[in-house]
Amino acid sequence: MLRGLYTAASGMIAQQRRHDAVTNNIANLNTPGYKAMNSMTRAFPEMLVSAMGGDNVRSGPIGKINTGVFAEENRLSFGQGDLSETDRPQDLAIVSDILVDGAIFDASGKYVDENGNVIFQPQAFFTVQAADGERQYTRDGSFKTGLDGTLLTADGAPVLGVNGQPIVLNGSWEDISVGADGVLYSKALQEPLPGSPQLMITVVNDPNQLVRQGNGRFRYAGDPAGIRPLAADDRVQIRQGYLERSNVDAAQSMVDIMSALRAYEANQKVIQFYDSSLQKAVNEIGKI
Amino acid sequence: MNNSMIASAASISAIQRKLDMLADNVANINTVGYKRKTSTFGDLLTSLMPHETDFNLPGRATPPGYTQGWGVRLASMMLDMTQGTLQSTGNPNDVAIEGNALFQVRMPDGTDAYTRHGAFQLIALPSGDRQLVTDEGLAVLNRDGGDIIVPEGRNLTITPEGNLIAVGIEGTEPIELGQIQLVQVLKPELLRSVGDNLYGMDAGVNPDAVVQQLPVRPVGVSVRQGFTEQSNVNLADEMAELINVQRSYQLNARALASANEMLGMANNLRG
Repeated sequence: MLRGLYTAASGMIAQQRRHDAVTNNIANLNTPGYKAMNSMTRAFPEMLVSAMGGDNVRSGPIGKINTGVFAEENRLSFGQGDLSETDRPQDLAIVSDILVDGAIFDASGKYVDENGNVIFQPQAFFTVQAADGERQYTRDGSFKTGLDGTLLTADGAPVLGVNGQPIVLNGSWEDISVGADGVLYSKALQEPLPGSPQLMITVVNDPNQLVRQGNGRFRYAGDPAGIRPLAADDRVQIRQGYLERSNVDAAQSMVDIMSALRAYEANQKVIQFYDSSLQKAVNEIGKI
Repeated sequence: MNNSMIASAASISAIQRKLDMLADNVANINTVGYKRKTSTFGDLLTSLMPHETDFNLPGRATPPGYTQGWGVRLASMMLDMTQGTLQSTGNPNDVAIEGNALFQVRMPDGTDAYTRHGAFQLIALPSGDRQLVTDEGLAVLNRDGGDIIVPEGRNLTITPEGNLIAVGIEGTEPIELGQIQLVQVLKPELLRSVGDNLYGMDAGVNPDAVVQQLPVRPVGVSVRQGFTEQSNVNLADEMAELINVQRSYQLNARALASANEMLGMANNLRG
């Protein structure tokens, strides 16, 4: 059987996955706190091809070959999104640029040192409580208030304070200002609210360990030592009355979707060429 | 159907809803006391295709599993209660609120509703007295939840605190009619638009948790007689948003077309 037929088929499937990822990015062009994802592909494991048998052929290894490609992971790009002003008191945005000793991060939040080690920039997130009590993390600060005064995400999950409890306020949010460190102040008195509630901001050292859950939320799947509360010297600020826009680049997405489509087409053509080779083998060899 | 097609189709309908909302705002640019609606998107459920642990190869940065997103939805729609500009009309029945407050009116079915639409009128009752109602004919309530009746031959004056005074011809003593009901909105996201520029609440929601009666001497709120509050829709903002949303609609439609082309290619594998 022709080996390349399946290689091309796997190429079509991998390109379709890439297309799906870009489509999802395009769909979320206006979703606050959305982080773009990029589909990473990887070659199938290499195998060694050997010649064997025959009198005229020297037997022994010919070389290595890959027999296809697959979409391995959807890596999130955690670059800071632009801020857009909304003037709603419950709209909060995180501006995060956390420094790591000796690392100079590029726009995608990655640094490769001279030994080839990759360091990803830590990112700060709001901490919310999912339905099963698990803590999840979000950059979507379009919050609202529940009937009992609990601060909720747009889809209704409680936002946690530093004490690990949901933030509950009885008054109007018009009278509350949020400090850069997440402390809630009374606008009239210019002092922290009773009980000094403060938003819990969690820093994730390796944001690649976050798994997207939908509704702007992420679950942390890495080592528990890799997350920590916000420290005073971290370069993280909370801005009230702003939302962080999606960090999807529309022009880049259009290029990616076209390239995925055309690569898909190229693989389809390869399959057609294999098909015509097979057709020759089946119908024309030995034809009188 | 392939995943891209599902994701873009779902997103197109969400964006359509946002367009509808923007159209509603633009249509009400001249509606007295109209408060613009805002909405935010949220990404739809992400499913995780599990991976065997053998997939954890060197160079991989994320935990095992391949995530697949399914587009976007309109996560929430809210009212933007910011102040609209006041316009002088000279009509004593036009009342505008400056600050965070709403008038309370009684619906025909006896339930309460709230509004900033202060284009009121005085209708004559069979007794010769006149009652303060909205331009839709709904009774405007006083602080005690009763109707506001202006005795025959007198005109209504409203002080900045919302006190109602019936003033007669010179030489007669003004009559105090109490105070117009003003409520402060604590949780604007729980107010529902019930048409005619009125806001109500969902069944089962305790009104006290959403709105609160203002004190007799309100701070930061004043009532202006002879003014109407213009809509707080800013056409430039709405148009900018409209362009943005329309372009993302277009982009999603292109993703859909592209997904369709892929399906066509798969169908035509065998010429």
